[in-house]
Amino acid sequence: MSVIEISGLTRDYGNGKGVFDVSFAVEQGEVFGFLGPNGAGKTTTIRHLMGFLQPKTGSCKIGGRDCFKAADKVQASLGYIPGEIAIFDDMTGTEYLSFAAKYRGLKDGARKKELIERFELDPRGKLKKMSKGMKQKVGIVAAFMHDPEVLILDEPTSGLDPLMQNRFIELIDGERSRGKTVLMSSHMFEEVERTCHRVGIIRNGRLAAIDSVSALKAAQLKKYAVTFESETAAAAFLKEPFSCVGYAGNAVTATVQNDITAFIAALNKYPVVNLSAPALSLEEIFMKYYGGNGNV
Amino acid sequence: MFNLTLYKKELKGLVKTLVIIGAVLTLYVSVIITMYDPEAMALLDGYVEMLPELMAAVGMSAGATSLVGFMASYLYGFLLLIMPMVFAVLCGNKVIAKYVDKGSMVCLLAAPVKRRAVAVTQLAVLLSGIVMIAVYTTVLELAVAIGSFPGELEVGKLLLLNLGLLCLQLFIGALCFFASCLFADGKYAFGAGAGVPALMFILRMLANTGGKAEWIRYVTFFSLFNPGKLIAGSGFAIAGIFILLAAAIGLFVGAIAVFNKKDLNI
Repeated sequence: MSVIEISGLTRDYGNGKGVFDVSFAVEQGEVFGFLGPNGAGKTTTIRHLMGFLQPKTGSCKIGGRDCFKAADKVQASLGYIPGEIAIFDDMTGTEYLSFAAKYRGLKDGARKKELIERFELDPRGKLKKMSKGMKQKVGIVAAFMHDPEVLILDEPTSGLDPLMQNRFIELIDGERSRGKTVLMSSHMFEEVERTCHRVGIIRNGRLAAIDSVSALKAAQLKKYAVTFESETAAAAFLKEPFSCVGYAGNAVTATVQNDITAFIAALNKYPVVNLSAPALSLEEIFMKYYGGNGNV
Repeated sequence: MFNLTLYKKELKGLVKTLVIIGAVLTLYVSVIITMYDPEAMALLDGYVEMLPELMAAVGMSAGATSLVGFMASYLYGFLLLIMPMVFAVLCGNKVIAKYVDKGSMVCLLAAPVKRRAVAVTQLAVLLSGIVMIAVYTTVLELAVAIGSFPGELEVGKLLLLNLGLLCLQLFIGALCFFASCLFADGKYAFGAGAGVPALMFILRMLANTGGKAEWIRYVTFFSLFNPGKLIAGSGFAIAGIFILLAAAIGLFVGAIAVFNKKDLNI
C-alpha cells in the first residue's frame, strides 16, 4: 500500500525554478531517498507534502488524505525535520520540547527522554545560542518524540558530526524495522545508500530516475586520481583498458563503474605513490541518469 | 479552533512589551491627569495660544472645561493613540508574519493543529493584548482621576471614550494582522502593517493643524474616533467607533481566510 503518493505535481516559480510533473509513491515500511543537488526542488516537493503549499496542478496524499486540505489529520501521525531548523529563538531546548509535546497533545514523554539520551543532547541552553548541530538534535527529537507512522526528513543529518550521523542512521534502521514509512532527502548519495531501499533522483525540478539502491550502486561512477612514480609508468598505465579522464605528468585520473577489482589489479603492476578518490557531484556519479550535459 | 498551549506561550512572550507600555502609560497618564487644575489649564491653554498649530497637531486644544474634557483633549490626542498603536503593530506583525519569515511557523503547522486554529489563537493573543492595555488604561485613569479629584470625573463619559479608543485600536490591530497574514514577504507585512497606521497618524496631525489641510481629515481613519465629539454625545462620533469595530471584525475574518489558503514557503 502506498503511504505517500505524489502525482503530477507541478509548481512553476519561473526561471526554470520549481517542480515539474513530479510523481512517485512510497510504500508502507519503505525508506525512500530523495536525492538531488541544492535547488533541485526537494524542499519544494516536501513543502507540498507538509501542506505548506497547495499544489497548483497534481496532488499530494499521505495515508490517502490530501496533504493540504486535511493537513491536521495527516500531521497527527507524521514527523518532520525541516531543512533548516527554525525554532522559537527565545526558548530553551527544554522549554521548546515540552511546548511542542503539549501543543501536539502528547502525554507520554518516555520516547522524548530516550531520544535525548540517544543523541546525547543537553537541551537546557537557549535555542538562539545553540550550534547548528545542537539545534538539529532538538529538531530530530521533536520529529520523532510522538512516534509517528510517517517521517519526512529534509536533509536530516546536516550539522551532525559523524558519530551522531551514525546514531541517526541506527534510528532510521530501527524505524524501518518497526514498519515506519520514511522519505528522506539528501544531496549526498552516501547518506541515502546506507539507509534507503529506493531512491528518486531529482534535477532541475524534474524526477530524473527512481531506482533501487542496488541498481544505483551498480550505475555509480567512481573516480580515482592516481600518482605514479614516474611519467613513463603513467604513460604505460594509460594503455590499460580504463577510461582515463585526466592525464598530466605522472598523474592520471580514471573513472571506474563496476570493475574495481580489475582496476586494483592493473594498478598493482605499476609503481603507485598515491591514490585518492576526489569528491564527485551527484551529476558526475549518476552521469547515466543525468545524461551528458552536466548543467549543474 | 483554539490551542491553549500556544496561547499561553504567546502571552508569556508579550509580557515584557506589555510591562513597558504599561509603565509609560502609568507615568504619563498620572502626570497629565494631576495637572488638571484651573491654573495649569491656563498654562496649557497659553501654549495653545502661542503655538496653536503644534499643539493642535498633537491633538491638544484649549478650553476643556471638565476633567473628562481635559483628558479627552490632552490624553486622547497623542499618547493614548500612539502607545496602544505601537503594541498593535508589533504584536500584529509578530504573531503571524514574523514566524513565517523566520520559519518557526513550521513548528506550529507541522502538528495536528488546523491552520485556522493557529490563526485564531494568534488573533486571540493580539486581541487579549489590546484589551489588556485598554482595561489597564481605564482602571489607571479612574484611579488617578478619582483619587486626585474626587467627584469631578464623569465616569460614563470616560468609559465611552475608552470604548471608542478600544475600537480604534482593534481596527489598527486588524490592519496589522491582515497585512501579517496577507504578504508572503515579512518586509511587506511589516511595511504595510506599520506604515499604513503611521501614515494615517501623520495625516491626522496635519489635518488637525486646520486651515487648508482640513480636508485631509476625510482621508485618515483616525477621524472616525473623535474624543471631543464622543463625550459631547454626537451621533456621528458614536457611529464612527462602530464603523471602526465593524471594519476590524471584517479584517479579522478576512485575514484568517487568507492565511488558511496561503502558500507558505517555510
